[in-house]
Amino acid sequence: MDEKRKARLQAGGIDVDSALARMMGSEALLERFLGKFPDDLNYPALCGAIAAQDAEGALRAAHTLKGVCGNLSMTELFNQLAAQVAEFRGGDWDAAAARMPAIAAAYDRAVAAIRGEA
Amino acid sequence: MQLPDLNAIPRTLLIVDDDEINRGLLAAIFSDLYTIREAAGGAEALQIIEAAEGALCAVLLDVMMPDIDGIELLRRLQPRGVPQRLPVFLITAEASDAVMREGYDLGVMDVISKPVMPYIVRRRVQSVVELFDARKRLSRTVERQQDELLRRAQQILELNLGMIEALSTAIEFRDGESGEHVRRIHDITALLFSRTDLGAGLSSEEVEWIALASIMHDVGKIAIPDAILNKPGKLTPAEFEIMKTHTLRGAELLESIPQLRASGAYRYAYDIARHHHERWDGRGYPDGLKGDEISPWAQVVALADVYDALSCKRVYKDAFDRDTVLRMICTGQCGAFAPRLLESFLAVEPQLHRLYETGKTP
Repeated sequence: MDEKRKARLQAGGIDVDSALARMMGSEALLERFLGKFPDDLNYPALCGAIAAQDAEGALRAAHTLKGVCGNLSMTELFNQLAAQVAEFRGGDWDAAAARMPAIAAAYDRAVAAIRGEA
Repeated sequence: MQLPDLNAIPRTLLIVDDDEINRGLLAAIFSDLYTIREAAGGAEALQIIEAAEGALCAVLLDVMMPDIDGIELLRRLQPRGVPQRLPVFLITAEASDAVMREGYDLGVMDVISKPVMPYIVRRRVQSVVELFDARKRLSRTVERQQDELLRRAQQILELNLGMIEALSTAIEFRDGESGEHVRRIHDITALLFSRTDLGAGLSSEEVEWIALASIMHDVGKIAIPDAILNKPGKLTPAEFEIMKTHTLRGAELLESIPQLRASGAYRYAYDIARHHHERWDGRGYPDGLKGDEISPWAQVVALADVYDALSCKRVYKDAFDRDTVLRMICTGQCGAFAPRLLESFLAVEPQLHRLYETGKTP
């Protein structure tokens, strides 16, 4: 992985060194899983559940997405989602829903970085 | 359907997680160690475990899943004893006290928190899989050793029986009998105790001991001189007195074998050797026992001995035909037996008679 790619991913909120450690140092594996991330269905599921005011579905999607972000060391998105999950669990729908713009921004940055968009 | 190979050590790791990336990451961590199967939910995992539990070496189980979640899956597996046979690891981002406690209560081996660190999860899973492998191999070794011990015990039993038969047959040979006599006494005794109500209250093991003991009924004849034992004509009263001592000599002989005294067959063998010439009417020898003073086994062997003697040719007589044999026994012309014993004997006599036609056990 060249420095440019690494810097791009770092700028997208991905802690590349930590993610590589999780992949046993395999850049190929990291790229493979990063490549799958934009197609992961949990983000659209979270957005849909929020729109439909489905608390249970939203919690499930946020929780799973959080797990994926943890594995890929998407630190910023992970922290946002962890906070949101805690809010869902605490029954604070409004606070959790209010977090969506920040989550969407972090998500978009990560996806753009993965796709190599400027 | 293919039957699972019970000796094969299972090498398939089941990864249960609703997220594809999570499954892929765990698969990548373990792909060099195990064959990987993935399930995207609890229901699919349950199907795989039900169909192929024997091929699995461990289950990595996500807690939060849309259909059947990890805890619910465990609730279904636990009553069937699956977590005792197959190590299950909970992989969870929410390692809350409540989830962990319920997981452990339901039999999970370990709880590993997400996001996982490869070297930690590898080491923890590998250690447990190796432990289960070793346990399985050990229990199989113990099973094999138990089988081997049982086989050897059986061999020793057969050898004992063979030696007792050989000894008894050798003694019968002096008497001009073939080895068939002791074999038939054994079979007749076993049959009367196992197929009539004479055997009521006796276990099959006791019946085997009695049948084994019956083989030794005449061992005392080893102490009787050839001149008397093989005399073609009628014995003088003095000779008959000597002949009668084979009962007491037999009991003494058996009493002098410590290994036999330790056997379950001994009390029967001693009693049969001593009392197989007692009569129901009290006119037998050596103790002049009467009626039910004579043990059931001594009574049965006495009858078997007379039946066999009458049915076969002996030095002093030809074989009698079947009707004559039965008439002689039932009218008291030859021996005196309990009415109940005769009744049971007549009920199975057609089966006994076959011994003399085919020479085989009925």
